[in-house]
Amino acid sequence: MRARKLSHEKDKLTAQAKTTQIGVRKETRRDFVKEVTKMPGGEKILECIQCGSCAGGCPSMFAMDYSPMQIIKMINLGMKKEVLSSSTIWVCSLCYTCATRCPRNVDFPTLMMSLRNKAIREKLVKDSTKSNFHKYFFEIVNKYGRMHTPELIVKLLDITDLHSLLHNARLGLRLFKIGKLHLRATKIETSWVSSIREKTDQEEIQ
Amino acid sequence: MLQKPSIGVFICQCGGNISDTVDVTRVKETIGTLDQVKVAETFEYLCSNPGQEMIKKAVKEKVLERVIVASCSPRMHISTFRQVMKSAGLNPYLMEMVNIREQCSWVHDDKEKATNKTIALIRAAVQRARYLEPLTPEKMKVTESVLVIGGGIAGIYSSLELADKGYQVYLVERNPSLGGHMAQLSKTFPTLDCSACILTPKMVSLSHHPNIKIFTNAEPILVKGSSGRFEVKIKVKPRYVNPEKCKTCGECAKICPVEKPSSFEENLVQEKAIHIPFKQAIPNASVIDKDYCLYLTDFLAILGPPGTRGVCGKCEKNCKNQAINLKQKDKILELKVGAIIVSTGFSLMDSTLIGQYSFGFHPDIITNLQFERLMLQGLHKPSTGEVPKKVAFILCVGSRSETTDGCSYCCKIGCMTAIKQALLLDKAVTKAEPWIFYTDIRAFGKGYEEFYAKAREHFILFIRGRASEVIPNDNSLIVKATDTLLGKQIEEQFDLVVLSPALIPNKGTKELAEMLSINLGPDGFFLEAHHKLKGVETRRKGIFVAGAALGPKDIRETTMEAMATASKAATFLGKGEKSVSPEVAYLIPGRCDLCGICVDQCPTKAITKGKNEVIINPISCNGCGICIPICPKEALDLKNTTEKQMIAQIKGIVEGEDTTPKIIAFVQKRTAYGSIDLGGQNRRNYSPEIRIIRVPGMARLGIKHILHAFAAGADGVIFVEGDDSIFNRDRMRERVMLFKKDLRKFGIHPLRLQITTTTLPQYEKTLALFDDFVQRVKKMTPITQEKREEVKKYLESEKTVT
Repeated sequence: MRARKLSHEKDKLTAQAKTTQIGVRKETRRDFVKEVTKMPGGEKILECIQCGSCAGGCPSMFAMDYSPMQIIKMINLGMKKEVLSSSTIWVCSLCYTCATRCPRNVDFPTLMMSLRNKAIREKLVKDSTKSNFHKYFFEIVNKYGRMHTPELIVKLLDITDLHSLLHNARLGLRLFKIGKLHLRATKIETSWVSSIREKTDQEEIQ
Repeated sequence: MLQKPSIGVFICQCGGNISDTVDVTRVKETIGTLDQVKVAETFEYLCSNPGQEMIKKAVKEKVLERVIVASCSPRMHISTFRQVMKSAGLNPYLMEMVNIREQCSWVHDDKEKATNKTIALIRAAVQRARYLEPLTPEKMKVTESVLVIGGGIAGIYSSLELADKGYQVYLVERNPSLGGHMAQLSKTFPTLDCSACILTPKMVSLSHHPNIKIFTNAEPILVKGSSGRFEVKIKVKPRYVNPEKCKTCGECAKICPVEKPSSFEENLVQEKAIHIPFKQAIPNASVIDKDYCLYLTDFLAILGPPGTRGVCGKCEKNCKNQAINLKQKDKILELKVGAIIVSTGFSLMDSTLIGQYSFGFHPDIITNLQFERLMLQGLHKPSTGEVPKKVAFILCVGSRSETTDGCSYCCKIGCMTAIKQALLLDKAVTKAEPWIFYTDIRAFGKGYEEFYAKAREHFILFIRGRASEVIPNDNSLIVKATDTLLGKQIEEQFDLVVLSPALIPNKGTKELAEMLSINLGPDGFFLEAHHKLKGVETRRKGIFVAGAALGPKDIRETTMEAMATASKAATFLGKGEKSVSPEVAYLIPGRCDLCGICVDQCPTKAITKGKNEVIINPISCNGCGICIPICPKEALDLKNTTEKQMIAQIKGIVEGEDTTPKIIAFVQKRTAYGSIDLGGQNRRNYSPEIRIIRVPGMARLGIKHILHAFAAGADGVIFVEGDDSIFNRDRMRERVMLFKKDLRKFGIHPLRLQITTTTLPQYEKTLALFDDFVQRVKKMTPITQEKREEVKKYLESEKTVT
């Protein structure tokens, strides 16, 4: 009798352990979902019926590790770590194809932007090459008050990859000929950048 | 004038259920001292045979005129005691039940307080009993005929059922032929039998039935009168062909110069302006489409007068049977019917609204109804006429979507239709490749799951994922989607794309609902009276709805509903007479000035304007009482809940110095009262300061009752409304706001008035609110006697006005 009882309890324990492994434990799941529903773009994620309209038309899905539909499902399952360290949120080109086709009005691109912010804040960015673009972009805009393309290219350049280097050099020359690349950066007033930053910081605190 | 009938009070002990908590002898003694109470008795089980005999004996020996039974809930035993009254020779409505088990003994522990409450409740009943009136169920004459709107499968079935029962049936159809959508279908799922073969025999027997009159090309334009005696005006649009003379030779169509897309063939085929709707049409005769006929419409009028009107007329000249008359005009008929059955059906959503599927940009992107027609025409691609091999079926086009263009509900038949069409395609075409793009396969009906399994056995490809995009190409169509189970994108070429658009209410549903004054749901379909128990009835008695007019539905369910409506209509009409519940509104003669406020407010349209006064139809009236407090002349009253009875009961319930605070709870008769009874049955204790009065609904109560309650000594009033209320939440709140404003004028704190809505199992919430409310009122400074006097004075001054 006792042995039977014990084996039963053992089963229960393993079952619990399994659920914690994939992070579907009820509390953490609900916490993360609640957090996301409060973000801009995440209001309707609980209404998702997993139809796949978003993934079907996505033009940049070839480069994603999870499809947009899977990301929504993972949020609903509470897989915070996996969602925030995925490449999908950085690869998304914000073309809004999915948002226009979604039958349940999920605003996926806006949610992606919110998740990018969260990923940086929680230091969960796994593949930094993808998020670096955003980082450098902001740095340059902060410096000059406007974009300076050559500097961004230099910052993003991977010197070890010779093939792409040559390919990009050819493209750069062509752009230079037309007059699209200016070697010297022109500087304008930069105060507006910091004012935006102050505003967003304030909202985050609230 | 105060009436003085003799009253007998009988208190049940319920074998200790009541007498353990309530001091029954003290109750008996106290009540016995009241005016007019001749008999006050207590017995162990009043509902048992000896108990019933005791009541009968007392009535006969002591010549009692009113009887009060203080026992369990009236929901349980009211019919028992009414029967006792009948056999004792008294009118059953002269008996009043007091609920001292579910509302006293089962829910209070304090014996002293429970006894006091019992006395108060019985005292209120005694006060009320003075004004009780004998009531008998009225008998009304009803017209023994039925109007059926819509001649699809639902209309056909309900007409046949009713006609077989012997009622006169008028069937009104908007199109030139009966049949509806079912006539357009090739085969039906899941048995794959031919749709026309099972429908057309029914249509033929319908047309030969002596009790059925068919009006095609007709629509109702006006519905007057009330339940049981409707007067309906029907506009019959001209057909321009006499169906009795027409021999359907088709000579007229040969010479007609105008071609138009055929609506029966879903615009896939061209037909002449004069045409036979389809081969098995009933009535089987040609019809002229007015919008396309050169003789009837001015086509070239834009280029300058004269237009083409009155010029062509070739068909009229050439018809050998002289069946055609181009000078026909609209006819308006008047019908008298007792009941109306609405079976207006559905139509398909416009697929062009869902832009990504490119519907309308390529002839090979079609709807599932067009595919049905293609199957019957001989399967071919509309663009080239080749046989399609690879066909994509895209489900949920516009269904289950929260966007502005889509419908939030499921279309219910899309999955099974696609599976059926895929199987038919598989049978008809060798090496066919049907792909079904689905969101969820919903195979819920009898034999549907097996049908789905059969489709998989035939190697039909099921892709779980809503197609994202259809790109029209020159020779083929490209469908983009994901297989959501694999997580991979799909891009495939197809010969034909079949969309399953959402089903929407038919054109004119809204106007018809307004005409009949019945409700529409948020989805735009008609709303049934109760989701589960009254599935084919509407809020208005005598009007029934069947089939897809209530929501998307398959043929099996539609025919079942049609037969249900026929049965319901037959029950309603009975044998030409209808006995009506006596608890309805009535008019006090000589007061009405025809202001018409009640006419607008009545939810069942039971009140109509007469010559000098309003007229109330007792069949339509459901006794909600909304008309009574809003009448500025106090010309209306509700039987068995009259103004006098209510005020006497309110006064009786708060008289005496037994407890403070005293709180009156007005509880809606049906749901809310049942809910509180349920609390009693579960022995949920709550404050004994709450005294319950049973009312038909919140709508019955006016500011007058509340003021009377406060004047007589109440410290708080709480409304408990059921969820089946005739008010929606906003209107209820609006009304209570007005009450609160009025209370403030008399210096009574508006928080002494509380309102709540409950469903049957939600008693816990209501009873918890009771406790909170009592605590809240206890904390307030008590209402002074001066204030009460002030209110009393106001009420008396009001009385003199009317």
